[in-house]
Amino acid sequence: MSILSLFKGVRLPRSPEPPPPRPLSPPDKVIIPLRQHQGRVCEPVVEPGQEVLLGQVVGASEEFEAAAVHATVSGKVEAIAETYDPAGQRVPAVVIANDGRDAWVEAEGAPPTLSEVEVVQKTRPTRLLKRLREAGLVRSGLLGLPLHVDLSPPMAPRAYMFMTGIPVVRPIDTLIVKAVDHDPPVVTNQAALAEAGEELALGIAALARIAGARRVVIVLPAGVEPPGVAQLAARHEWETTHLDGRHFPYAVDNLLVKKLTGRVVPTPYGEPRDVGVVVEPLVTALDVGRVLSQGRPPVDRLFTVAGDVAQPQVFRVRMGTPIARVIEAAGGLPVEPGKVILGGPMMGYAHFDLDTPVTKETDGVVVQSAESVRTFQDQPCIHCGRCVAACPVGLVPTELGKLCEYGQFEDAAERDLLHCIECGCCAYVCPAQRPMVHLLRFGKSEVLARRMEQ
Amino acid sequence: MSSRLLTVSTSPHLLGRATIRSRHLETMLALLPAVGFGVYYFGGPGLMVILLATASAVAAEYLAQRLTKQPVTVGDLHAALMGLLMGLVLPAGAPWWLPVVGGALAVVVGKLFFGGMGGYPMNPVLVAWVALALSWPEQMNAFYQPLSSEWYVSETPLMMLKDDPSTLEVVTRSELWWGLVPGAIGATATWPLVLGGLYLVIRRIVPWQIPLGVLLGAAGMALLAAYTDPTLGELGYETFAQQWSIVTFHLGAGGLMIAAFFLAPEPVTSPVTPWGMFLFGLGVGFMTVIVRTWGAPVDGAFYGVLVMNAATPLLDRIRPKVLGKIEGTA
Ligand code: SF4
Ligand code: SF4
Repeated sequence: MSILSLFKGVRLPRSPEPPPPRPLSPPDKVIIPLRQHQGRVCEPVVEPGQEVLLGQVVGASEEFEAAAVHATVSGKVEAIAETYDPAGQRVPAVVIANDGRDAWVEAEGAPPTLSEVEVVQKTRPTRLLKRLREAGLVRSGLLGLPLHVDLSPPMAPRAYMFMTGIPVVRPIDTLIVKAVDHDPPVVTNQAALAEAGEELALGIAALARIAGARRVVIVLPAGVEPPGVAQLAARHEWETTHLDGRHFPYAVDNLLVKKLTGRVVPTPYGEPRDVGVVVEPLVTALDVGRVLSQGRPPVDRLFTVAGDVAQPQVFRVRMGTPIARVIEAAGGLPVEPGKVILGGPMMGYAHFDLDTPVTKETDGVVVQSAESVRTFQDQPCIHCGRCVAACPVGLVPTELGKLCEYGQFEDAAERDLLHCIECGCCAYVCPAQRPMVHLLRFGKSEVLARRMEQ
Repeated sequence: MSSRLLTVSTSPHLLGRATIRSRHLETMLALLPAVGFGVYYFGGPGLMVILLATASAVAAEYLAQRLTKQPVTVGDLHAALMGLLMGLVLPAGAPWWLPVVGGALAVVVGKLFFGGMGGYPMNPVLVAWVALALSWPEQMNAFYQPLSSEWYVSETPLMMLKDDPSTLEVVTRSELWWGLVPGAIGATATWPLVLGGLYLVIRRIVPWQIPLGVLLGAAGMALLAAYTDPTLGELGYETFAQQWSIVTFHLGAGGLMIAAFFLAPEPVTSPVTPWGMFLFGLGVGFMTVIVRTWGAPVDGAFYGVLVMNAATPLLDRIRPKVLGKIEGTA
């Protein structure tokens, strides 16, 4: 597997190393979407005109698959408006005008803060989980689940497990902490290594304790050896390993799990926790540590601005800051702006509304000037097989693309269309520059729509 | 902010540098050593054939697409590449109209009749080559002796092999691999073809499975022939080194190398999956030696490619294993 996989995927171009993270002052107005995770939308619990304090809950939900959202500035609620989530879907949001005081809400009856790894390792997992849930933590990264969902074993046994005899609920035994970013030049997790310290140890210990993982693996970017992390790992008997993030998409969860543990995550509906592994990004582990040691929900996050801006940079920004402001701080849009992509260049989403806010899910934004925007072509497939060689999942994208193009959706589904992870390697290598991912997504949505009807 | 329009599209927002045109350009670059040797060996007549074939292919594509009111695709260099390959597989002694007809046939009949780029089932260059070989056998066998002061038609090693197995010992391997024997302009000199082919493999324009399959297939079949064929048995080859000399003969002779690196990996007509490609290559290699040893035509490399082209849809059904798929689910 590992030798063959060297030839699969694509090698992304090298991008300059951004300078260490720097804080960005809070904006005049924040836009807090009521859904900053994959799951249910929260109900607003504040009204326009109401004064809110920093860290106050502004949206909550009874549903399990939802994470509460908090005010990230103190000030007055202006409106409940609509904005876009990182994937470009409309989502209601609370707009708060900043009064500049940054006055924290008084937490009543809050449990004492934790600051020792040993204490965390003795605390009951449900207690820890409750704190994370109250803090509204979400796994950082596009389509991140609320953290309390991500850390639990699957609720319901899944159909495919019955079919194959995989134990219905496999206990989680491994925690992978990802300090390598799957979609460079968005390198938020790598940048977060600069902040690695006791809080990180606390966060990792808590994650491992909640999930019940014995084995902890910290995946570092190739060629990076932060001394702090090595010490932490040695002290707590955690493993470290290296991975080249430019070898796309091998830092994406399913492939990472395969590489490190040899376990194969069942697709299309499976997740790493189905095979006993939890994968968390480093920024999330840091947030967990902060929540436990400070007793407050996170109000800011690390956010990368990369691409054709004057000064690519990782910022620590308040969540809810419109991306326009962050881009401005990095030198602003190029004269001829082309694309603004939330997420990364390979798997991210292009946006047109620069008021879209930074949320718990977004690791960063990539700006492309008009000149560096590459367009797909309407050319026939030349059957060269480059896409087959590149596909990390082992599909035959050329055939799937043609089937989807001509509306043979069921045939495509039979040829494993639904197993595609939409990584985009096939489109990257295609000499005919066919819009492969577009075709595959279209086919998938058609297949799923038809299956829903039945 | 809102006055500036931003582009929105699906991911990925990065694309690789490869285009159809760049593939063809690089393939032509990789053919340069072979062209150079061809022109050096066969002088004016050789250069003439190459130029005529290329020009005729490009002109035919341009005219045919203008006549049928299709978008003109000369710019992607495919016609130029096809014409170049056509010229390289013709003999230097061909009359001027042979490359002209060949180039035009390859483009119009081989490619455009089937819907152009991406649509044709068989390698268009070889389709045209077969048409010429069947229609004008005499002109198609006008092979010159390279580097001679006066051009005269002579027999290629493969033709001699048909009549007399001892050719295996008469022709030295260095003569054969450097192309100092009569043969087609670009297919005779083997080393420059290997050089260009390796470049294409490293650039991943040619998948390594196909050339490897062809070479292994030819070598395996040549050894098999050495063990089983009675006429070869008369040579009394006992040791493996002697039998191996049959392999080096077949790999260096005729059109095998140009087929392995340039004609068989033609993308449209070769399979896309790794095992499919390898089996495709093996098939080409087998066919080549089978035809050379026991068949009626002189060289089997080009027929082998055509036959395996027909098997491509079948070979495409050999799929890689899907990661994460649980058997019995869709
Ligand atoms: S078919 Fe899907 S999984 Fe395979 S390379 Fe294309 S996008 Fe990636
Ligand atoms: S890479 Fe593009 S042109 Fe080549 S087989 Fe795949 S879809 Fe067709």
